[in-house]
Order: sequence, then C-alpha cells, then structure tokens
Amino acid sequence: MSYTELQVTTNFSFLNGASHPEEMVEQAAFYGYASIAITDKNSFAGIVRGHVAAKAKGIRLIPACCLDLLDGISLLAYPTNRDAYTKLSALLTVGNLRTEKGKCDLYKTDVYRHAEGSKFIVVSPSALNSEFEFEPYFEKTLKEYKSVFESNLYIAASRRYQGDDSKYLHRLSQLSKQLQIPLVATNDVHYHESGRRQLQDILTCIREKCTIHNAGFRLHPNAERYLKTKEEMLRLFRQYPDAILRTQEISESCQFSLLELKYEYPEELTTEDRTPQQELEFLAWQGAKEKYADCLPEKIVTAIRHELRFVEEMNYANYFLTVHDIVRFARKQNILCQGRGSAANSTVCYCLGITSVDPTKFDLLFERFISSARNEPPDIDVDFEHERREEVIQYIYEKYGRDRAAIVATVTQERQKGAIRDVGKAMGLSVDTINRLSSSVWNYTDEWFEGKQIAEQGLNPNDKLLRKVLQLTEQLMGFPRQLGQHTGGFVITQGKLSDLCPIMNARMENRTCIEWNKDDIDALGFLKIDVLALGMLTCIRKAFDLAKKHYDLNLTLANIPQDDTAVYEMICHADTIGVFQIESRAQQSMLPRLKPRTFYDLVIEVAIVRPGPIQGDMVHPYLKRRNGEEPVEYPSKALEEILKRTLGVPLFQEQAMKIAIVAAGFTPAEADELRRSMATFKAKGMVTHFEQKLIGGMMKNGYAKEYAQRVFKQLEGFGSYGFPESHAASFALLVYVSSWIKCYYPDVFACALLNSMPMGFYQPAQIVIDAKKHTVEVRPVDVNYSFWDNLLEEKSGKYCALRLGFRQVKGLREDDMNDLLSGRKKAYTGIHELLDAGLSKAVLEKLADADAFRSIGLDRRSALWEVSATADKPIGFFAGQKTAEEKAVLPQMTIAEHVVHDYAATSLSLKAHPVSFVREKLELLRIVPASQFEVIQEGSIVKVAGLVLVRQRPGTAKGVCFITIEDETGVANLVVFEKLFDKYRKEILQARLLMVEGKLQREGEVIHVIVRCCYDLSKLLRHLTASKNENLPLLTLSRSDEKVSPVPSYPGHNKIKEAPKVIQEEIFPKGRNFK
Amino acid sequence: MKISRRWSCILKKENVKPVDMHRRFVTIWFRHLKTDWISIRRPAFAKLPFVLTLSVHGKMVITSANALAEKQGINIGMALADARAIIPSLEYLDDKPEPSGKLLQSIAEYCIRFSPAVAVDPPDGLILEVTGCAHLWGGETDYLTLMINRFKGMGYDVRAAMADTIGAAWAISRFGQSQFVIESGQQKFALLHLPPASLRIDREVVELLHKLGLTQINDFIGIPLSVLRRRFGESLIKQLNQALGNEEEFILPVQLPATFEERLSCLEPIVNIAGIEIALRRLLEILCARLKMEDKGLRSASFKCYRVDGKIEQISIGTNRASHSIVHLFKLFELKLGTIEPALGIELFILEAAKVEEAPPVQEKLWKGTCGIENIKFLELMDRIAGKIGTANIHRYLPDEHYWPERSIKSASSVKEKSNTEWKTDKLRPIQLLSTPQHIEVTAPVPDYPPMNFRYKNKLHKIKKADGPERIEQEWWIQEGEHRDYYAVEDEDGNRYWLFRSGHYTGDKRNQWFIHGFFA
Repeated sequence: MSYTELQVTTNFSFLNGASHPEEMVEQAAFYGYASIAITDKNSFAGIVRGHVAAKAKGIRLIPACCLDLLDGISLLAYPTNRDAYTKLSALLTVGNLRTEKGKCDLYKTDVYRHAEGSKFIVVSPSALNSEFEFEPYFEKTLKEYKSVFESNLYIAASRRYQGDDSKYLHRLSQLSKQLQIPLVATNDVHYHESGRRQLQDILTCIREKCTIHNAGFRLHPNAERYLKTKEEMLRLFRQYPDAILRTQEISESCQFSLLELKYEYPEELTTEDRTPQQELEFLAWQGAKEKYADCLPEKIVTAIRHELRFVEEMNYANYFLTVHDIVRFARKQNILCQGRGSAANSTVCYCLGITSVDPTKFDLLFERFISSARNEPPDIDVDFEHERREEVIQYIYEKYGRDRAAIVATVTQERQKGAIRDVGKAMGLSVDTINRLSSSVWNYTDEWFEGKQIAEQGLNPNDKLLRKVLQLTEQLMGFPRQLGQHTGGFVITQGKLSDLCPIMNARMENRTCIEWNKDDIDALGFLKIDVLALGMLTCIRKAFDLAKKHYDLNLTLANIPQDDTAVYEMICHADTIGVFQIESRAQQSMLPRLKPRTFYDLVIEVAIVRPGPIQGDMVHPYLKRRNGEEPVEYPSKALEEILKRTLGVPLFQEQAMKIAIVAAGFTPAEADELRRSMATFKAKGMVTHFEQKLIGGMMKNGYAKEYAQRVFKQLEGFGSYGFPESHAASFALLVYVSSWIKCYYPDVFACALLNSMPMGFYQPAQIVIDAKKHTVEVRPVDVNYSFWDNLLEEKSGKYCALRLGFRQVKGLREDDMNDLLSGRKKAYTGIHELLDAGLSKAVLEKLADADAFRSIGLDRRSALWEVSATADKPIGFFAGQKTAEEKAVLPQMTIAEHVVHDYAATSLSLKAHPVSFVREKLELLRIVPASQFEVIQEGSIVKVAGLVLVRQRPGTAKGVCFITIEDETGVANLVVFEKLFDKYRKEILQARLLMVEGKLQREGEVIHVIVRCCYDLSKLLRHLTASKNENLPLLTLSRSDEKVSPVPSYPGHNKIKEAPKVIQEEIFPKGRNFK
Repeated sequence: MKISRRWSCILKKENVKPVDMHRRFVTIWFRHLKTDWISIRRPAFAKLPFVLTLSVHGKMVITSANALAEKQGINIGMALADARAIIPSLEYLDDKPEPSGKLLQSIAEYCIRFSPAVAVDPPDGLILEVTGCAHLWGGETDYLTLMINRFKGMGYDVRAAMADTIGAAWAISRFGQSQFVIESGQQKFALLHLPPASLRIDREVVELLHKLGLTQINDFIGIPLSVLRRRFGESLIKQLNQALGNEEEFILPVQLPATFEERLSCLEPIVNIAGIEIALRRLLEILCARLKMEDKGLRSASFKCYRVDGKIEQISIGTNRASHSIVHLFKLFELKLGTIEPALGIELFILEAAKVEEAPPVQEKLWKGTCGIENIKFLELMDRIAGKIGTANIHRYLPDEHYWPERSIKSASSVKEKSNTEWKTDKLRPIQLLSTPQHIEVTAPVPDYPPMNFRYKNKLHKIKKADGPERIEQEWWIQEGEHRDYYAVEDEDGNRYWLFRSGHYTGDKRNQWFIHGFFA
C-alpha cells in the first residue's frame, strides 16, 4: 500500500510553513514517495519551485492549494486536469483582486462556481468538544459541501497526538459513514523534518507578534507536523486503511502537471496576415533599409539573415515583436528608450529600433549572448525615462488587458538583518541586544553563525540563547516573506493570464502582478519583458528637447555623431561630472589611465569598475596590457577566443562563465546554476561545492591554481553585482550620448540634469559650478524670471544662460508656483501683488529665503521683513491700502551671510563659494587651494581644506575611504587608509569643512592626497555671519562687568535647537556617503 | 509638612494681590537631567559617552546625550546610527518617557528646603519663587551658589540664575555668560545681549528673527510693539513683557504627598497589655478615620512602641486587600501583641501605614452571592490565618499558558493576581499532580501503544482501559530534551493514573516510564 501526502503547508504560506517547497519535495523523494501535493493557503506561489524540484528528483508534484474561506471550513483543492487548474487559478484571482495586497478573500459560493473538475478535502476541526463530539456546525457544512461537490469530496483525518486521537478518528469515521464522504489520511505537514519545529514556533511568534515566552497555546503542542515516512503513516492509520487508499485514489485522478501550461504569445502583433516570423522579417528588413539607406553593408545583411534564421529555429519571433510593439509605442509618445540584455544587442534589434547601439561599430556575435544549447529564453530589458515609464506600463495593460498582462512577482526573502531582528524579537531579546547582533553583521559568513563576530559587540558567543538565535536565524534566512512586484518584468499572454497563474493586486495603485517570480516563469518557459526606468534617459530626453528649442537640433540616440574625438578627449580628462555611469570618483580616476578612444573602450570602462573585475584582481593586469607594459598572452589556446577582446583578461560576466565551461568543464546549465547560486545566499552549500569543482576542474586542465582562484573570486563578485557585456554595451551608448551633450552643449546638459534631479553622484551645487567652469552663465532664482523647471535664456557668450528654477528652492511646491506663474501677467512690482496671486505667507517666506525678490528691488532680508507683515493684509473695503508703519532699520547682510542663506534655501550659491570667505584664515594656516595641486611637486606634504562632497568606502577597497572635498578653486581627492579612518572617524564623518594634511600623489592626470591627519574646521563657517557686537547701540550697559566673546557660544544652544546662526555649518550639505 | 502648609497660605494671599515689593525667582536648569540621573545610579556610566534613544518610525533617535557624548558632537535629534558612526563605542539605553516627570517632581520636592514655592518646568528645569528667602541663607549669591553646589555634589550638571522675573532668570540660566544673580530692576540690561531663543518663544519665531538679522534682544527691543506684534505674534510681546517684569507670571508649586502616621505619647509609661491595646485602638481609630475620609486603605502597617529605656518594640501586619476596618486591623495586631515586651514602660506609640492603596467604597449588594477572593470576609480570614501560620504557607495556583504539565500552573503572588488565561478544560488532567514524576516499571507494546500494566510502589496494576498517547514536546526555549507521551489509564480497581514515557521507545534505554498524577 502506498501513501501520498496531500496536505503540505510550505513557507509560501507566509509565517506558517517552516520548510521550502524544494525541501518538502526532496524529503518526499528521499522517503520514496511517488507523488506529493503542495497546498499553500490561498496561493499557488510555491508550486513551481516544488514542481522543478520534483522533476529533478523524478517524482510527481500535485499542484494544489488550501482554500481558507471567510464563511466556511477550509478546503484543500486538487485540480484533476488543466481546465480545473484554470478554474482554481481564476478563483484565487477573484479572491486576490477583491482585496488588498497580500490577502485573499474567498467565500463558499466562489468555490462552488469554480469547483468543476477538482477534488476537495475538508479540513477537520482541530478538536472535539467536551462531549467528545464535533460541533454541529461542522456536520452542517459537510452536508452542504457534499450536496455541491458530491463524489469529489473527502474528509481529512490526521493523527494529532493529542491524547484522544482514537476517539477523534472514530467520530470522523462515523461522520464519514453517515454522510457518505470518504475519509482520507493526511498529516497536515508544516515542515519537512521534525527539527524545524523550533523555527515553526518562531514563525508563529512573528505572525502573532508575540515572543516565544508569551506565545502560550498559539504554538503547536508537539513536533508531529513533519513529513512522515509511508510506513509510519500506514501504522498510524492501521485501523483505517481505506483512508490511506484514498490518497492514492486522489493522487491518481490528479494527473495535471504544470508542464501542461502552454505559454502562448499574444497574436495581435502581426499585420496583413503575416505569420510572426514573416512579420519580424518584414520589419527587420524595413528597419535595415531605413537605417542604412540603400547601401546595406554586406556584413549587416549576413548578420540579419543569420539572426532571423536563429530566431525562427528557436521560435522567438513573437517575443521580438512584443518588445518592438512596446518600443514603437514609446517612440510615438516621444519617450526615450534603450534596450539591453542578451538579445538586445543584435542587428535585428538595431533594425527594429530596440537598441541604438550600431552593430557595425561593435563586433557582436548573436550567439555570444544566446546559446541554443542552454535553451534559455532571450532576455531583453528596455530602459525608459524614469518619469514616464508609467505611461508605458499603462499602455501594456491597456493594449493587452489586465487579464492578459501582469507584472512578475518578486519574492521578498528574509535577509540576515531582518531575520536576526525577527528571531531576536520572537526569542524575547532586548532591542539593545538585537541592535548589537544585527550591527555585528557585515557579511554573511559562516564565522558569523559560529558567533565569532558577535564577541566584538560585547556579547557572549557561548551564551546558549544567543547561539540558538543564530542557529534559527540561519534557518530563517532565505525564507520568502512576502510577494512584491518586480521592478518591471511583464508577462503577456494570448489567452487569459489567470488561466496560467493567479493574479493579485500590487501595493501600487493600478498595478496587478502574478504570484510567480522570474525563476518560476523561466522554469515554465514563459517569456517576460523588463520595462525598466532609467533616470539618465529622462535627462537625455530633456536635453534633446532643449537642444531642439535653443539650437534647433533634432537629436536622437541614434543620430548623435559617433566617434567624436573631442568627446573622447573630454572623457580622457575625466571631465565627466554628471555623465552617465562614469562620473563616480572611482570611474574618474580610471578614465585618464584607461584613456577610452573608441566605443568599445567605453564598454570596458563601464564594466571594469565593478565588484567582479576588482575582486578577481583583473583591473591592473588589463591596464598594464593596454598600456603595453605587459605582453598580451592567454592562459591557454582554448581561452584565446573568449578573451581576445579584452587582451586576455576576463572582465565580463559572460567571459568568466565561459571560462568555467571551457576551462573547468562545466556544462552550460551548470555554469548558469553557478551564477544563480552566487546571487542568492540560499544555496550556501552550493557555493563551496562549485568552488571546489571550478578550481579543481581548471587545475586538472592545466591552469594555475592562483588563476583559477581569481576567476572564482571574480564570479563571486559578479554574484553580488552581475554586469554582463550585453548590458555594458547598452550603457556605453548612454555614456557616449551624455558625454557628447556635455561636451558640445554644457548649458543644455546642466539644465537637463538639474531638471532630472535627484540622480547621480553630485549635488546641484557641483553641477552649477561645473557648468560655470564651462563658461555657462548661471542666473539666480527670481520671482519675475524663473519657472518651475530650470531653463535656458538667451545666449550669453558661447552658450545660453541657465536660469535656475523654483524646483531648486527647498520646500516650494509646484502647484504654488503655478499660481505664481499664472499671476505673472506682467512683471511683479511688489510683494502684495504676489499675495494677491494667491500665494501664502509661508510660500513667500520661502521665496524670500531664496533671495528671489531681487528684480523688485528687495534683498532677502528686506523681502522677509515685508513678507512677515503680510498676515494682517487689509481686506474688503481697505484692500490695496498701504499700512502706515514706522520704518525699522534692519542690519545689512554681508555677502558671506547671503551665501550662507543661499545654501540654506537652495543648497548652492551663485554669489561666491563659501570657502572663499575663510581663505585668508586658511592661508594663515598655510592651506593651499586645490587648484595649486597641478604645480606642486609630487610627494610634497600639502594642506588643503574644503566642503565635503562625497565620502565613499567601497566594500572592495579594504576599508579605504575616498573623500572628495571642494574649495572655491576646485576639488581635491583624498585617500584615507583604514587605520587613519578609525583614528579620525569623527572628523571625517562630522566635518562640513574638512582640512587634511597629506602627501600629494600624482598618477598621470589623477592627483590624490594620501591623508595623514584630518581636522574639522566647520567652526570657521560659523564666522561667515558677521558678529554685531562691535557696534552695539547706546542702550548697552557698561561692559566692564561682562565678558562678551565675539562669537557667543551659549550653553543653551546645544539643547534648544534654534537659529540658523549657530547651527549654520549644518546648512552646508553633509556630503553623501556611498558604500 | 506642616511648615509647607503654612507657607502656602502666605503664598496664596500674595497671589491674590501682588504686593508692591520685588519678587525674586530662581530658575535651575539641569543640562543633562536624565543622563546625570543614570550616571548617579550606575557609576560605570559616569565615565562613558552615552545617549538615550527612542524609536521614531523605526529609526533610533537620540533624545538625551550625556556631557561626554555631547562634547564629541553628539546632539539630540541625531539618528543613533549616525552617532555610532562617530563614536563606535557609544553606549545607548532606552529612553523611557515616564521617569523624567517623576524625577523632576522628586527634585522639586527636595528643593522645598530652599523655598516653599517650587514649580517644575518641564522637561528639565525648576522654578523657585524665593522672595524673602535669600537672607536666611546668607545673601543672594551665597544662596544661589549653595543650591548649585548641592546639585553638583549629587552629580547633576546644573546652571541657575536669580532675577526679578521668571523670564529673566530663565534666560540667564540658559544663555547667561557670567553674572547669574541679576540685581533687582536690572533684568532689562541683562537680557539685551541674549539671543531671542532665551525668551521661551517658538522656534519658528526665533528663526524668523535670526533671518532678519535680529539676533539679540537688543536688536528689536526698540522696535514699536505694534510692529513686532504684527510680524511675530502676541507670544513674543507677552514673553518679553514677562521677562522684563511688565506683566505678572505665576507658578504652580508642587505639594508634598501626605504620610499616614499617627503618634500617641503617654504621660506615664505604659507597662501592661491593656494599656497597649488601648493605645493601639486609639491610634487605629484616628488613622482609619483619616484613611476612610480619603477613600484609602492600608496594605501593611507597623506599630512601634518606644520604651523608656530607649529600645523600640515593633509589630507589623499585612493585608490582602486595602482595609480601614478598625476591627479587622485590630484583630491582626492582636495576634502579635503578645510579643511586645513593655519592660520598664512605653512612653510613645507610633502607628505607621507603610503601604496605602486606594480603597473606593464598595457598593452594598442586596444578596451576598460572591465567594472566593471577592468576598471580604474570606479575605479577612486569610489575613488572620496568614498572621498565624505565615503567608509563605498559603498557596494559590493559577493557570499558565504552557503545554508542559509542570509549568501549566503557577503559584500566585497575591490574591489580587489575575490569570491572563482560562483554566484549560479540553484535555483530561489529574486532580493531583506529582511535583516530580516518579519512575515506574511498565510493560507496553512498542512503539507508542498504551501500557498493559505497571508497577508502582511495589504494587502491580493491571491496566483495563487507556487513552493516549498525548504527545507533549519540550518547551525548547526553556529546556531541551525528550518529549513525553502521556497516557490516562485505569487499573482493575477502577483507579485512574496519569503515566508517561519519556522520549520515543528505545530498546536499550530503561526507566523511560513515569507516573505523574492521579485522577479522581
């Protein structure tokens, strides 16, 4: 007699089950089960994983679910065929869409409507009442169910080890006989082995928001809810052998497998009765003709033919057409987009307009990205302007309908910090201890679980409770916690999507997504299209618009002049503030060393400053070979083909994976698994397994061990941040385009960049300073000239003048400014006119703070004085009358004070750089301006001071901190080694005005200061506002008895947060921190 | 207590009609009230930078920082994470909002020794009206210095100032540079160079004044009031006037809590029990009358007898429920009166109620249906039994939410304690549970079927009926180990027992079986 477990709750019933679906299936296979069901609560989220695992183990998964009803007793539902599955999926969709995200509201009648073809098992009550009977309600419901489901209904019977099991089963069997509903044995499995019971208790605590100490009877009394062996189940039900037989009856009648789900492409993509392949060919050739006019290069013709044949072979035409359709819509709406991913850099995609990377410029082999052997679906991600992506998303929903298109889910997993917090809380640790524990986490390592790192936090690693917490945390990590929506992965189908998978509401309005994630749909062969958002595209589109308006240029991503030497020249000098991808400090110091001259150089530049190549220690070898300091050689003949483009040094993810295949004997599928296992920390054991296999394999094939280790390290780096060549190529195009705009139209570039904020590394202040450096005139915010956005005014010199917009002023809102603009029929001449335009006093104060009243002859202080009196503006009969008031004389503001307040209101000042006011004092300290560095000898000790722009401590740099500071003459790049960082931590993290002393180091154009010591000079900034004690009025009482310091520092100030004067150094940006 | 009552009478008169004499105020500012308090109680913290934090929207925000932390740049309102970036070793404790009020209150009560009219000025200040006090302490400067030194001696970092107005004293104590005793009538000059924040006005107004360049009171004191009012609102004018003394400001002084203590001195020393009884009864009458008037009752009291030879004889009682019943309390004392040795005689009796609780009058019921702990008579009986055999010998059990049988009951600490759970009745539980299970010899089919017979205290019991197993797993967070399989069995005599096997059946392990209880 055989047995099939039919009631299995996995961890996709969030906070209920304590094992992964894979673990359940693997355990079942280990016990020799031929099939097992997965019944999560109102969800199919876990069944694909179970299905994949079952396939691998050669057993059968019965997709099923547990229907928890709002008005009835729960039912386990098993579809017997595809139609039944479709109905259940539709049922869950109904329940999902009716309520908010994460819930599913179902009623009995819903189930009755979708019941056809499914088998149902009623979940029995957990206990008998004091009369040793079931509550009458149960019997009543059973009768109702029986009348609907007829012979498809069963009653679940489980051994609960509660003392009265025999009575309980006896009663059940009585009922079963009386109502003619057969009994079926289940074990209500919550975890795959009894050891997981502790974790299950913890999950209960998290769910019930209590601690293990006060959870009480909310926990299970024993650990019997594990998957038992068939023999044990037979023994437990020896008195009811029929109940065991029924499991086989159900299992046999439920032959439906997820493999039967057929993904079908949408059909409305073709025109004029063409087949998808014909349509694609038609569009591709048509596009090719447009791109290359009539003289199609031979190379292109061959490439297109080749690719089309490949597409036909793999039957991907529909996929390309779907992407093309979305891109076409974006084009029409004038939304910029750019494709990337394995298939995106093909010639066909170029002809279809999906990408603008010209394949002639770039030796790309299609199969380099898609291999038919791996049979993995093509991958095209399309980036859209971040401000307008929603339009594209809504287009997709509209075109295909919400029943046919939905976003893929992402499974939010328990990460280490969250896991430790959850477990700690459930175990009743104090907030304090939990904080310490979680702050001891830096990396997910075995040492951490062994408690080595927690000793540093003053915790006792031998403490039993703590060890238990660590052990449970380790188990909990990787558990799914909730279903979120993917950033933009869409699944579009021909038929109803809910036929395939339940649809649910996303947290965001107007979004619906499916219950399965990327890996799940990959496994079932569904195709997804990533509709992503990219800030730089917004910026570029705005730049194109401005270029059209002011320079009458019709720019597109494709028609920007290519291979422009001036642009590469600028890039080589690292003049790249604001440019896509290559603006970071690390990139800027790489540029003069790598000296990109061609498009492919940019591809490498984008890819090289990444964890992968850095951890693999591949950067320096590449630079050396590029500069001819080292001969180009290959580890073996076999690798030459793979590594030729990058001078024998693996830089891209694809290369590292190919090495695993060619040199270490991995199969392509294994290499792919290797990549995946690196990305998720779930498969911890797998990583070590692969490490041994890779290094062993490579050494067997005659590669040096050291080289093999580096390749593995590199792969590890890609795991945390995978960046394949196919993506780098698409990004490189945007790098080039943004550089080109910056090079030729710095005014346009700065304006577009400011209007797309927040993005990138730099603050508006640096962008403005950079624009001024390129001789762009920048004009201040003004009530009579500014608009919400920054804009370009008439030409002043070589470029248009940039007028700052109201969006730069902190705290202003766009609709308030629309009132201002609609009231600005002619120039405003007084503050009361703005008041009449409907602006509130608070808004006027903000405008005064920004010094925006200059055009009506008021500086910020006089304006504020006027504004502050507007609360009792004359109304009704007296409207418009001026109130007579004594003139009050306010102290004049110095330019330094103005700069301080400019920073306070807009984070930048056009009047002067703050550091310029303290230059005299800095000179007394022998501090040099940053611009002097060029003439100072390498190796000299210099002192330099500036506002802190960026602090960066990349994980790949062994604790080294990179700081960029800025004075009125330019920026200085500082390098602080770990020991010094610990010593000067306070200064580095707190100072707004940082002074350092250190050794000047020059490498080509790149100048660094290797810091020896740091000082916080922020106090100097306080002096920017003049102290008025020098000219005290006559009222003063004789000062002989008072000691008045020029800059009073009142003890009260620490406590009472107030006046900008005292905390004024805080006005200056704190500097941004990056890891 | 009596003194302070008298003071308050005088104060009240004063408040009715301001006397035309200069009033004087002292304000005391505790710069690190909470952290100082912690350092005083936990000296280890005194030398460390540490902060108090509160979770605001899931972010740990600093609410207080001690002087050492502040010196290193840690400010209130900072996120803890930022602060720890600056001082990685920064200690932090949970800020409990509640104690600071109590703390301030208790310091205020302490200050009554300096002046009868002390008011709290949350979150971290005190205001004392000291009109006419200073000369008792050797002049104003000495008086103020004394106060400051007292607090410094305790470990509090304080600043204090004295002036004619609360406002001026407040400003000087927070923002003053040197002179902390402002002579009468000089407050205006003292205020001139202070920043607007010293006027106790809203932050927005302070910011506005600063933006306008009006960074000292001096800068705007000359501006016509109407102009100021129009821009900065009424509160600025009011605060300015109060600080300058143009407008009266009142404080609400703290009151000391009353104590329940009565004394009876005797003209002649009492030497016999009858005399002691009379004294006790007299004291009880007075005390209970007071308690009754205030709707209070006592939970514990002690009766002290001061003997002429200087020794003190004392007896104490406790009750389960706040009581002011003379009869009952007398009965409780009576049980112990015999222990008092009057020796040469007792000259003074003191009856002190150490613990007093609210005892609202109970509504009379038409029929007395209540029994158990709600019944006063029962409770009084319990008090008397406890007086005889000791409270430790009376037990009361409540259900506790544990599956593990030993932990499913807990003993209650008082009659008032209520269980947060109901007695569980869905499973059969023995009427008597052995505190430690005892080994038995058992014959049982494997692996988990009920036993057939067992030997307990050398008697063989043949099992006729049985139910089980009920498997109860260890509560692993308390203790790890084997689970138990419980069986309810009935032997041939009809007696029923609760047996269990510890762990799964294993062939090689003996002594797996235990008896744990008896059913009725």
